[in-house]
Amino acid sequence: MSAADKVKINKLPTGVPGFDEILGGGLPEFSFNIIAGAPGSGKTTLAHQIAFANATPERPALYFTILGEPAIKMLRYQQQYTFFDQAKLNNAVRFINLSQVVLEKDLDAVLEEITKEVEKASPGIVVVDSFRTVVRKAVGGATEVELQAFIQRLALLLTSWQATTFLVGEYVEGEIRDNPVFTVSDGLFWLYQAAERNSVVRKLQIVKQRGQASVPGLHTFRITHAGLQAFSRTLGLAGLVRKIPSTRRLSIGIPELDKMLGGGIPEGDSVLVAGASGTGKSVLATQFIAEGIRQGDPGIVVVFEERPQEYAERAGSFGLDLKTPRKEKKLEILYLRPLDLSVDETMHEILDAVREIGAKRLVIDSLAGFEMALAPGFRADFRESLYRMITALTGVGVTILSTVEVNESFTEFPFSTYSISFLTDDIIRLRYVCIEGQLRKIMVVIKMRGGNHSKDVREYEITSKGVVIMGDRLTDYQGLITGIPVHLNRSGNHEERLHKPKAKTKSRK
Amino acid sequence: MSLSESRHLAQRLLTYEAVGETSEPAEYAAFRVCERLRQPLITLAGVAGFRSLLSRALTLARAEAPSLSAVQVAADGSLKGLDALASQTDKKQARDGGAILIAQLIGLLLTFIGEGLTLRLVQDVWPEAAFNGRVSEKEGKA
Repeated sequence: MSAADKVKINKLPTGVPGFDEILGGGLPEFSFNIIAGAPGSGKTTLAHQIAFANATPERPALYFTILGEPAIKMLRYQQQYTFFDQAKLNNAVRFINLSQVVLEKDLDAVLEEITKEVEKASPGIVVVDSFRTVVRKAVGGATEVELQAFIQRLALLLTSWQATTFLVGEYVEGEIRDNPVFTVSDGLFWLYQAAERNSVVRKLQIVKQRGQASVPGLHTFRITHAGLQAFSRTLGLAGLVRKIPSTRRLSIGIPELDKMLGGGIPEGDSVLVAGASGTGKSVLATQFIAEGIRQGDPGIVVVFEERPQEYAERAGSFGLDLKTPRKEKKLEILYLRPLDLSVDETMHEILDAVREIGAKRLVIDSLAGFEMALAPGFRADFRESLYRMITALTGVGVTILSTVEVNESFTEFPFSTYSISFLTDDIIRLRYVCIEGQLRKIMVVIKMRGGNHSKDVREYEITSKGVVIMGDRLTDYQGLITGIPVHLNRSGNHEERLHKPKAKTKSRK
Repeated sequence: MSLSESRHLAQRLLTYEAVGETSEPAEYAAFRVCERLRQPLITLAGVAGFRSLLSRALTLARAEAPSLSAVQVAADGSLKGLDALASQTDKKQARDGGAILIAQLIGLLLTFIGEGLTLRLVQDVWPEAAFNGRVSEKEGKA
């Protein structure tokens, strides 16, 4: 059978930002779905959002309420969401209470009532909330076979009448086995909510979906005044076409460092700038972004520890004008509010900004700040999500410079406190070193995946013009990366002697 | 919508029902308004939901119109005690009591689901009536 012979399954929008992508493009039309989850997980809100997104007076949404949240209260609360269009009530979206039928009659009567309404309205969307109530009632009075027969007849009816159906229910995961509802359904959307330390983590999963491929795994979502917003694990990047690797080198804005990097950072690389507090990581990152703007590359700076205005003003103190490009929409400084973010939500915010201004350079300052801004429950996903974002963005030619703070050690030379070095193509290490009785700074290019680079250890200073590399490589010292070097042309442990507290010499009298 | 506005709306519903095509006397208009609201509200909230609302409205209304003590809400959400009300009070008292009851019912709907949805419900029940002024006005502003 050729592709042209196959039936085309239309996809309906969910009205939930991000959810269509997770579903593989939208909801399969005429599918029979279950929205499952614990109380408070967002099932009813999701069902409402889908109903309002698709309902028209010609193909309305029928919303059957059964012994769950009282309909009046449901309307009271749901109308607070921005997707709730009052003009659609009783017209495109119709609420029908079936509580009494369920309470007083049997499954046949329930089916008869639903059939009557469906045949009368010819709905495009049907929601039964809560279907769990119907099943509970049925279990008390009907055999398992009768229940299965009821569900099959219901699915048959609603599919035949060309309705896309959602049965909302409070289920727990253990119920998936042997439950006829799950067997018959085409789609099963599971919503989770868990409190981790002081944060609430919401996730959803497409457990089952017939007819089209969805994005597997758990996806975070948030409920705001606009309803649900989902954040796909693929970050919306699944369809991006990878760019042919560029041979262009990007100047970092520090000529001597460009030389050390073999002419600049290869476009599309991920660069890690690691160093202790005060070594100039942020200044270097700002120079990188400012130089990009000077050369026509729009940029994004993601900061977690200071607000955009403060960041731009600090850049100004180094002679770097970030205010003008901000006004001209060539630069976006994102300050992501701390403490309750999910990784994917944060990534989406960054990606939206990248798309919006067509950014070529991205600075994340810093990874430690990024991780701290996340809700505790999401920190476990940090590296995985960061990997996905970096891989996808660099794949389309965005060059990323991330800063990371490392604890200064005088016995080790760590690149990062995280196991994230593998995420980066290039690593620049900044560190303090004791020379001539002063705490000075050195930098070295540790790694460049794309080619050769200088092995020199260079001294630098942070001046009013930013990071400036001083003189030639430091050839007179041994053990520079230990932080306590020895001057080769002087005797013994000159440096050590310089920095050891002088022993108090008792004067002989 | 203020209390006086909800009372005004109730009065308009009653007036509309009083002059409608019916052989029943005008003092029964409140019962007809309730009856016309009953089905759509039962569809929305169920019999139990509608009964609860109407019972609450009746309780609140009795505080202002003691003559309504003869009126009860039946199991199916309809009002009973109509004849008793008519026989115990004069026509004006009966009409006022009915108006207070409808105003309380409208007031409860306004409290729970807001002005927009309440007016829409009313508009759906009396599409031919001239309540569309207010609803249309709101839609025009949206």
